[in-house]
Amino acid sequence: MNAWEIAGSIVSATLLLCADMCLRGSPERRLVGLEMTGVIVTIALICFTVGFGRLPLMDLPLALSVMSLGGALVFARFLEKHL
Amino acid sequence: MSSSSIAIVILLAIGALFCVIGVVGMWRMREPTQALHYMNLPATVGIACVTVAVLLQTGFSSALIKSSVIALILLSINSVVTHATARAFYIRNQNRGRSNRPPWDFSREEQQ
Repeated sequence: MNAWEIAGSIVSATLLLCADMCLRGSPERRLVGLEMTGVIVTIALICFTVGFGRLPLMDLPLALSVMSLGGALVFARFLEKHL
Repeated sequence: MSSSSIAIVILLAIGALFCVIGVVGMWRMREPTQALHYMNLPATVGIACVTVAVLLQTGFSSALIKSSVIALILLSINSVVTHATARAFYIRNQNRGRSNRPPWDFSREEQQ
């Protein structure tokens, strides 16, 4: 394992706490956990892309960063109005 | 081990450390508005360190451009998302008839 894969693994391990945030508690806490999950997965995907030497796959975290933050905005709006 | 490899390891360690601190801090906070603050640690320092490490690893490549765009997106939109989320929490709290409580107080929500 190189340094990128180790860093990606450490960052990915924090997803357990994000999953705990998303699966328990009030809807507000779950939304915060979901937003943090998007950021963490983006960073982990960058580390794994460089670590495995598959640089063209850098499109995946790029798309995820845009879509996760946009999705979080939609969830926040939904939580504010309807939930 | 070259100096650039050492710099990459240090940058990745700092980035991963800030991600771990951010997630653990978010997980430890009881109120959602307090937990929102910890989103900025991986979205600023974490992604910045990883982007500089990508620069050192790959040089000026398409991966660096994409990683820089990701960093710019996270740096710019994350603050907007955080503000919109906190505003949604505030309005949701107000609409639930709890105007006598501070907007960051979500405790005992299930009992009311």
